[in-house]
Order: sequence, then structure tokens, then C-alpha cells
Amino acid sequence: MSIALKGVMQSTVTPLKDDFSPDLPTFEKLVEFHVRTGAAAIAWPHHKAESLNLTIAERKRFAEVAVKVTAGRVPVSIHVSALAVEDTMELARHAQKIGADAILAITPYFWNPSPAALYDYFVRLGTSIDLPLIAYNSPSYLSGVEITGELTRRLIERLPNFIGIKEASFDSEKFLEISRVALALRPHFAMIAGVEFLLPSVPLGGAGSYSSAGAICPNLCTQLYDACVAGDWPRARELQYKLARLWDLFRDQYPSSLKGGMVAMGRPVGPTRGPLPTATPERRTYIRAQLEELGILDTEPHGW
Amino acid sequence: MPTLKPGLVHTPVTPFNADRRIDFDTYGKLLEFHLRHGAQALALPMHAGESVSLGDGEQQALLKFAIGQIKGRVPLIAHVSDSGTGIAATRARRAEETGAAAVVATTPYYWTPPPAMVLEHFAQIGAAVRIPFYVFYTPQEMGGTKLGTDLILKLIQRLDNFAGVIDSSLDWQSMINIISNAQRVRPSFQLISGTEYMISGGAIGATGMFSSLAGIAPKLVGELYALCRKEQYDKARPAQEAVAALRQVVKKTGIAGLKGAMRAVERDCGQPRPPLDALGNGDYERLAAALAAMPALAGEPKGW
Repeated sequence: MSIALKGVMQSTVTPLKDDFSPDLPTFEKLVEFHVRTGAAAIAWPHHKAESLNLTIAERKRFAEVAVKVTAGRVPVSIHVSALAVEDTMELARHAQKIGADAILAITPYFWNPSPAALYDYFVRLGTSIDLPLIAYNSPSYLSGVEITGELTRRLIERLPNFIGIKEASFDSEKFLEISRVALALRPHFAMIAGVEFLLPSVPLGGAGSYSSAGAICPNLCTQLYDACVAGDWPRARELQYKLARLWDLFRDQYPSSLKGGMVAMGRPVGPTRGPLPTATPERRTYIRAQLEELGILDTEPHGW
Repeated sequence: MPTLKPGLVHTPVTPFNADRRIDFDTYGKLLEFHLRHGAQALALPMHAGESVSLGDGEQQALLKFAIGQIKGRVPLIAHVSDSGTGIAATRARRAEETGAAAVVATTPYYWTPPPAMVLEHFAQIGAAVRIPFYVFYTPQEMGGTKLGTDLILKLIQRLDNFAGVIDSSLDWQSMINIISNAQRVRPSFQLISGTEYMISGGAIGATGMFSSLAGIAPKLVGELYALCRKEQYDKARPAQEAVAALRQVVKKTGIAGLKGAMRAVERDCGQPRPPLDALGNGDYERLAAALAAMPALAGEPKGW
């Protein structure tokens, strides 16, 4: 049942046609690109893939393509969180049916559930399937609702398939409170940084990251991970600082800026669905100039 | 520009007598304890030293006493924060005259001024002295007031003596952004970890650490700091996890917990001043039992 999650895992964006409809042929090319350029795993659809702006039916179709194209070369996890918990349950069952390797779920949206309700939610989800479960902690986006060390302990004790956390608090104390509990109980538990904050997380026992910039600069992401694992901290700092500049560039109007940057890299993936904006031509020009200044255009793959 | 590399900075509590006056006899013993147990600098009175509960005259008396006690054996960093810009600037000037090696200030208490006035607040405090000036960034304690990298860069332009940021945000994005951008314009700019979460801080580039827990476990804190400065993060993890566990035990009851822990290691510094609560019925016994159950504290000094 279990899978090993380690390294830079690519959470792909969702390609859309100019009329905002799903662009599945481009999605196939994108998944293939990530696998070919060293993704340790494929993860779809995180929020950068506009998960909440896709219908449940669309999410199922994309998930099927992700599993089919990856074809077992690396693990595929499916993010199943939806506004309604019943939709989440359905997406989890679907992920299992199509042969995904794991599911990922954030704490429920909007309702600010109590710690007891959070526990019940993850237990219900985790026991509804046989797949490994990765929980997703992002308190700053969810009114402070968070996965604590105590909740992690209880879930590990209850769920044999609870194998990791996407940790997106980006906070030393929160990360460490979860990791010191989780790794003591389950030594192979995967603490995965929400974006490429590998420099502060790997030395705390972090297993890797879900990538934000991998569609632009997969080489840079992999080099950072390798430097951290090798303990080459001066090199890791240099690379992390560079990636931080890219993260600043992309988190402004995320993920439309990322999609805009992909145009400059010869991998256009179309617009972004509302209410998120689509990168304007001026914004794309600015992003291209920044990528050029950072040397990305010369050091990273162009095209598919 | 004046320079200071503070290293491991102990931040002592402020002892009070039963009648709530500063207990200078005990304070003298406490400062000697810190000096004998690894303090490379002292910062006082920080929030752990109940600065906000000390009147202006008391802060001045405390500083004067400490300077006289330390006699130049290590640098003393004076904490000068206040609500009013003019009050804080005057306190900074007086600290320099008294013999402080540097001053540190956080965002104003209570007020939530616009960013331009936060910049002005810091600029006036820093301009009041010639010794190094540090900004103390602790948003969780300060009503969530955030400091952006833009403000830091503007402050660098305004102040030759702006030496660095003491970070208690624990926020990886913020730390990486600030240090990577600030060092591009001022290579000597320092990031100092404001708490004992030194592994992530050190990996990001912190070259110093403030510690209130050094009053309880100076050996453990010293070991953590020394390993992190050598960038031996794998070896530092047991110490980091033990210090984090200690912090969680103490933090449940805040400053009263910190002082309760001091009592448990036979360095009684009295109770906190109102409006902070003293430990409630049974709290001290639970705290002392929790500390006694921590194997990592077994080798720590008891008494003065």
C-alpha cells in the first residue's frame, strides 16, 4: 500500500484552451515533460492547478490522464479536496478506481472545523479507501485551521495509510511540532514542504517538496534538493535565494503568473479561470524579463 | 558602519521580589549565571524579561545595573521598544550613553500605523544612536503587524547602523526574502534567530540566536547553537527537538511558565508582574514534573 515520497514532486498546472475549456492533449505533454525532467512524483490538482475552479467531472478526466500518461514511472497523487466533503469522498474513491498511488486532502474549506471534527474528517476519508493518504496543512489560507502535532499523532495511531503531510505553514515551529511527533511514531513519514522551501525543511527531516516553479525551472529545483541532501549549505542558500525570487514573481497572481512564465519557456498552457486573473501580455513581458535576468532562459529546458 | 556579531545571545528574565519590585540581588546572580554558561552577548530586558511591565525609570535602572555587573565581558544589547517613537528613540540614546553595544526595537505597541510610519518609527530610533541597531520582528506578539522586505530595504538606505533583523516570525518566506534581498545591498546585514528554532534559521543564513530558554537549559541551547553554526544540522536535530519540546512545555503558561521552570532548576526569580498571571494551583507541580521527565535536561545545571 505504501509509497516512498522523496525529492522534488511536481504538482502540475491545468492547461486550458482559450475558451477556458480543458486542454487534455497539452496536459498529457505537461505530465510527460515533468516525468522526463526528473519529477520524483506527479501531483494533481493542487491549488495551483485551479482545483476549486474545475467541476468534479473535469477533475476526474484530468486525473485519469495523469495516471495514464505517468504509467507507473513515478507515483501519482490526486488532490481530492472539494468544497463539499461528499465530493471529496467521491474523488477519493475515483482516485483509487483509476489506479492513483495516493490521495492528498487539505483541512475542509470555509467552516473552520473543530479539532475533533478535523480528526473525524481525516479518519472518514482515510478509512474510505485503501490508498495512502497525505494530509495538507495550510493554516494561513484557512483562517488558522491547522494540523497540529497532537492531531498528527492521533491520525498516525488510527490510520496505517497516513503516510505524509504537505506542510505549507512555512513556519519552523509548526513544521517541527508535526515532524518530531510524526517521525518518532512513523520513521518514513514524509514531511513535504508546500513549495520549494527545501533549505529550511530538509535539515529538519523534510522529505522534499511539492514544486511551484518546476514547470519553469526543473533543473534549479532538483539542484536545490541535491545540495540540501548533500549538506552543501552555501550552495543550497544560493539556489534557495534564487528560487525565492522566482516564488515572489509567481505568487503574485498565482498561478496566472506561473502560466504566463510558461509561455516564455515555450510551454504555453492557456489562460486561468476566473475569479483568478489571466496574465496580461504586459505581465508576461515582465516575467520573461525577470526570467532572463535570473538566467533561467539559458539554463532550463525550452519547449516540451 | 559600527559592527557587532552577537552570536548566542541570552535573554534573561527579570526577577521580582514578593512586593513586585525588581530584585537586583537575584538579577546580579542571574547575569553571572548566564555569563558562566555560554552567553556570548546579553539582550535585556526583552519580552522574556517583561520589558513592557517595567516603567521607563526601571528600564534605565536595570540597564545601568547590568552594564555595571557585566563590566564589558560580553556585549549588551538594550531593548528599547515602546509605543511612542520619541520615547523609544530617547531610550535608545540613553542606552548608548549608558554603555550598550547595540539597541533593538520592535514595531510600536498597540498602534497599527501605516507602513510609512512604521519605517519612520524605526528610522528615528536607529538615527538616535551610533551603535548598531536591530529590528526585532515578532508579528505573533505584535498583533500581526508585518514587516515587508521593502521596509527593510528602505531602512537600510536611511540608516548606516541598521545591522540586521532578529526574527521571531519563524516564517521561512519572510526570512529568506529579507536576508537575500538585504544582503544584496548591504552584505554585512545579519539575520538573527529570535528564538531557539536555529536549524531552519541557520540554514537560511542566521548567524546568531536569541534564547530565553538558556536560563533553564544553557548546555542544550549552547550545543544546538554550536552545531548549527558549524552547519552540522543532522547532528543538531536531537538538540533542536529537545529544545522545541522544552519550549512547548514552558509556553503553555507563558512568562509564568518560564519563571516556574527557573524555579524548578533552583534559580527562583519570583513571579511575573501583573497583568500576567502567576502559575495556578497545581501548574508548578505539573511543569516541574514535565521538566523532570525530559531526559535531555538531565545534565543541566541546578542552582546558581
